[in-house]
Amino acid sequence: MKVAKLAGTLADPSSAAWQSLEDVRVPLAPVALEAQPTEYIRETWKDRDYGQTAEAQVKAASDGERLYLRVEWADDPVPNREFQDACSAIFPTNGSGVLATLGNAEKPLALWFWEDGRPGPLRLISSGPGVVQKDAAASLGAKGVLADGRWSVVLSGPADVTEKRKVALAVWNGSRDERAGLAAVSQEWLPLEME
Amino acid sequence: MPATTEAKVRQLAWVYDLNKCIGCQTCSVACKVLWTRDEGEKHHWWMSVNTMPGLGTPKAWEQMGGGVDVVTGKPLPGHQPTREEFGGGFDYNYEEVFYGGTAGKAHLEPQAPRENRWAMNWDEDQGAGEWPNSYYFYLPRQCNHCSNPVCMTACPTGALHKTDDGLVLRDEETCMGDRFCMEACPYKKVYFNYERHVGQQCIGCYPRIEAGVAPACVRQCPGRAVFIGYLDDEDSPVHKLVREWKIALPLHAEAGTGPNVYYVPPLSPHRLNEDMSIDYDTPRIPPEYLESLFGPAVHDALSRLKVEMQSVRAGGTSEMLTTLIAYKWQELLGPFTVDPATLDRSNFVPVDSIT
Repeated sequence: MKVAKLAGTLADPSSAAWQSLEDVRVPLAPVALEAQPTEYIRETWKDRDYGQTAEAQVKAASDGERLYLRVEWADDPVPNREFQDACSAIFPTNGSGVLATLGNAEKPLALWFWEDGRPGPLRLISSGPGVVQKDAAASLGAKGVLADGRWSVVLSGPADVTEKRKVALAVWNGSRDERAGLAAVSQEWLPLEME
Repeated sequence: MPATTEAKVRQLAWVYDLNKCIGCQTCSVACKVLWTRDEGEKHHWWMSVNTMPGLGTPKAWEQMGGGVDVVTGKPLPGHQPTREEFGGGFDYNYEEVFYGGTAGKAHLEPQAPRENRWAMNWDEDQGAGEWPNSYYFYLPRQCNHCSNPVCMTACPTGALHKTDDGLVLRDEETCMGDRFCMEACPYKKVYFNYERHVGQQCIGCYPRIEAGVAPACVRQCPGRAVFIGYLDDEDSPVHKLVREWKIALPLHAEAGTGPNVYYVPPLSPHRLNEDMSIDYDTPRIPPEYLESLFGPAVHDALSRLKVEMQSVRAGGTSEMLTTLIAYKWQELLGPFTVDPATLDRSNFVPVDSIT
């Protein structure tokens, strides 16, 4: 995926600056049930669907200082007052990592995590489904907009893309009580190429 | 041989005497004032007293599942109590009543839809049964600091741990607000903080415990109805009531989590016949209802209490009744008899002043 060199208000998902870029379609699949970290989660979700958000779309841009990722997916309109929709941009911390389990102890992944209703994004180090530690959220930004039945979320952070090189996505459907490792995740890494 | 370096793990336990609890909620308020006045904690009542039989808090919590299958050891699915099921934490129409020029007309009223209103003690004193044989009793409830804490084993981030005193505590920095703990807990005594996105529950007043001060629920009880102590301390009333005399029983032990809050079950008056004569054979609280809460051991426990009472009435003495009466208030506090007023507060920073 090309990271377009752009100026303008990239932090806003509705910004006209994004319109010139084409979406990359990212197929998603449920995070593996057998890798869920506790017996309680495996037992209580073994007969329950999760991670059914089949696809997300992503655009990438940079203003030279920050990397902006605009993630879009279809909202499930069923109301849920307890759990909120969320998404993450996922980066390797150790060259690569297993996406189907949201990382593991040997190769944890770094998540830029946005959740509807949370005051700000979190940087999480993920060593398995929902097995996360909060990391310093320094200089991460996020803004989400729900319009016409679709979420558009811009996640942004330091543009050290040469180190990151690739990105993946995860989406949590709050309507279906999804949280922790109960998510839909990219099946493959998406290379990032600076324009 | 090297000396063992293993820390001694002990288990703190509470015993509530339901024959002495008057449902005054002083424990609830003592806890509330001490711990849950911050943002997102308005509806939190880590300590609460409910009228039984009743739906309690959260509404109908006994039907919400959780715990473990005691045969297979597998965790059982549970419902995560919602904000509405906890209820409470209402805003009120203060502006209208005090400043709206509506004297005599407007009344203080929770600003929540009337049909959904519920709160921590909403069904107080309703109980069950028909006059003249209606009945109820009070049941103080808090986190059970279980020996097999399913909240802890359900948590994906490892936010909960068991202390050397047997308390179940949470690291709020590690908690991601995933709420599997709330589902797994069969007692539904974990609250969610919607402002800070973390679960929260009774912390056993551990900062007081560390300073030798009894938890607020214990120290403030005007009825001398609650004891705290270490289960393995053979001199402790808690040990005697639970292990030796076996008259203090866990609540819903069938949930398999090894709760460490125990209850001396309630005696009840005899039933009245239609002609208002006394039916000496039938207690007003149905024994099967008490068994549904405290298990089959409840019948022996009540019998033992009655035998001791008979013996004292006949001029005898009873260490069990002397213990329950608690002539000496400090005996309720176990080893935590330090008066909090005597603590060094030179470094004390009031929470309200932290910005």
